[in-house]
Amino acid sequence: MSQPNAAAPPAARLPTSERVLNAYVIAVLVFLALPVFIVVPLAFSDDVSLSFPPRGFSLRWFANILERPEFGRAFALSAAIAIFATIVALTAGTLAALGLVRHRFPGRDATVTFFMTPLIFPAIVLGAALALMLSPLGLLRSFWGLALAHVVLTFPYVLRTALATLSEIDRALAEAAYTLGANRWKTFRHVTLPLMRPGLLAGATFALIVSFDEFTISMFLVGPGMMTLPLEMYNYAEFSLDPTIAAISTILLIITSVAIIVIEKLVGLGKQFS
Amino acid sequence: MIKANPSDAVGVDLRDVQKWYGSVLAVRGVSLAIAPGEMVCLLGPSGCGKTTTLRMIAGLEKPDAGDIRIGDTLVNAVSPWKRNIGMVFQNYALFPHMTVHENVAFGLTMRNRPAGEIRAAVEDAMAQVRLAGYGDRRPSQLSGGQRQRVALARAIVTKPNVLLLDEPLAALDKKLREQMQVEIRQLQRAVGITTVFVTHDQEEALTLADRIVVMEEGQIVQIGSPADVYERPKSRFVSDFIGFTNAVGGKVVSVTGTTARIETASGHSLDIPGAEGVAAGDEVDLVVRPEKVAIDPPEGSGCVVVEGDLVHTVYSGAVTYFHVDIGRGAILIAMAPNAHGAASALPTSGARLRLGLTPDTVLVFPRRG
Ligand SMILES: Nc1ncnc2c1ncn2[C@@H]1O[C@H](COP(=O)(O)OP(=O)(O)OP(=O)(O)O)[C@@H](O)[C@H]1O
Ligand SMILES: [Mg+2]
Repeated sequence: MSQPNAAAPPAARLPTSERVLNAYVIAVLVFLALPVFIVVPLAFSDDVSLSFPPRGFSLRWFANILERPEFGRAFALSAAIAIFATIVALTAGTLAALGLVRHRFPGRDATVTFFMTPLIFPAIVLGAALALMLSPLGLLRSFWGLALAHVVLTFPYVLRTALATLSEIDRALAEAAYTLGANRWKTFRHVTLPLMRPGLLAGATFALIVSFDEFTISMFLVGPGMMTLPLEMYNYAEFSLDPTIAAISTILLIITSVAIIVIEKLVGLGKQFS
Repeated sequence: MIKANPSDAVGVDLRDVQKWYGSVLAVRGVSLAIAPGEMVCLLGPSGCGKTTTLRMIAGLEKPDAGDIRIGDTLVNAVSPWKRNIGMVFQNYALFPHMTVHENVAFGLTMRNRPAGEIRAAVEDAMAQVRLAGYGDRRPSQLSGGQRQRVALARAIVTKPNVLLLDEPLAALDKKLREQMQVEIRQLQRAVGITTVFVTHDQEEALTLADRIVVMEEGQIVQIGSPADVYERPKSRFVSDFIGFTNAVGGKVVSVTGTTARIETASGHSLDIPGAEGVAAGDEVDLVVRPEKVAIDPPEGSGCVVVEGDLVHTVYSGAVTYFHVDIGRGAILIAMAPNAHGAASALPTSGARLRLGLTPDTVLVFPRRG
């Protein structure tokens, strides 16, 4: 405190409307976070059934994950698919955003809307459509078919953040770089890309999470010996409803949180110079 | 000290240059030859095509017709990054993710110069714009005037052939703007670089330019030295723009040589020398600067005396403007410095005033429209 002697402000009395609003916001947050508060304790339960509140303490459900190789395989597949899809979507999304923001052409808005359709399309329809499309190509139930589907799925997330970031960047910056002797590539490399980085990181985070979490569409495209983690979890839960699922969820929760914190740090740093 | 070898300085030549934006003809056939080392100001109202012309010289827009040469090179199809120009943008366009040093170094880095040379040149340029020691800051940590200087340093450090400035001082306050005008002029002289400066501020153009190019609706309407343009505007448009705010209607009675006798709407008769392009019977406008209208001129000073009633007084600090009805509703504005600072001693509305017009400060233009 710079002024330790300053009189304390009168006790804050919020108007009723504001207190109601605060209560509402807290209620919504609790509701959103509730699954987390239930799932994490369950993962450490000693009970064989998924019932709340948990009884006892045990790590055996985590041990159970390790004993079942299908979870490891599914995790590896999901991670590979998510990383592949994100890299492709990030590249394609950045290039598409550059074209869409820097050039005016007829049908531009329609193109943007078209690229965004996977966001609003019912997943079940998209899944069926992708299955129908990949089947004649011989890509159904293959890694590449699944990866391609995830590119389609994650692309709009990357494109959306890339478009938002790019349209915030003053066009004159690229032009200034041109007049200073930087050709298009150097301008992109030294000016545009660094300025887009926070947005691209945010888009990539979304893409990773969306891909890793994807259930409905993958369901149409996976096959025996090729299961994504959410599907493997679902299969397991169909037969044995024990806290193993909660244990996996807890691990995923930790991984996601760490990823988001790391990226928020990076993005936060990026925001400093704007 | 960054200094172009004078023999390195190159001119810029625009010939019949046109630019369309969709169905808008933004620049309609501009021809302009800029000498090596010269400083030219493009002056004109908003939307007259100044920026577009500058951007075409920079290569940021392609002309739809006509030729642009920098030195002997036809640059119509040359990319901006190959033109060796320096440009200062209206909002400076400093790279926000780089330090001031990195910003200024950018052009040299892109030219793959050795690090030692870059450092020395950047420090030199920073000193020239009096920003030594600011290298580690981010542009966001600078004031408007400092950003402007960084932009200038960044543009000159590469020793460009041509320096292009698009209203670089528009965002600064009056005092800083005037200071920067002097600095830019000194820098331009010192470096000896061919410069095109865009402004819509006539005073700025008069202060800075070797030559002023006045534009109207995508065309050049007058080219001349500051004194030329200031004293001898060629059209009503230019005269208006350059501060001839008085316009009194009239009719040409007779023309003898280049002297026209004009009967004004206020009922006065004036012989105006140097009235070109008018013939007896023409409807004309007489224009004159308020500061050229004498108040209460001494007898026998050779000027035409008109009398009228003061209808309106505008006090504006250093000077006061007197709006005088010189007859039949024709208003003549006279300006006088507030020498004694005695605003209370100013004549009040309704007072009778004698005004003196010196014929050779009055210009005659055919009535527009
Ligand atoms: N990118 C563009 N697309 C369409 N029309 C444009 C574009 N840029 C400029 N114009 C139009 O071209 C004309 C000239 O514009 P320009 O920017 O060259 O004017 P200016 O003299 O620089 O004006 P100001 O003093 O306001 O900057 C204007 O009518 C403007 O509306
Ligand atoms: Mg402009």
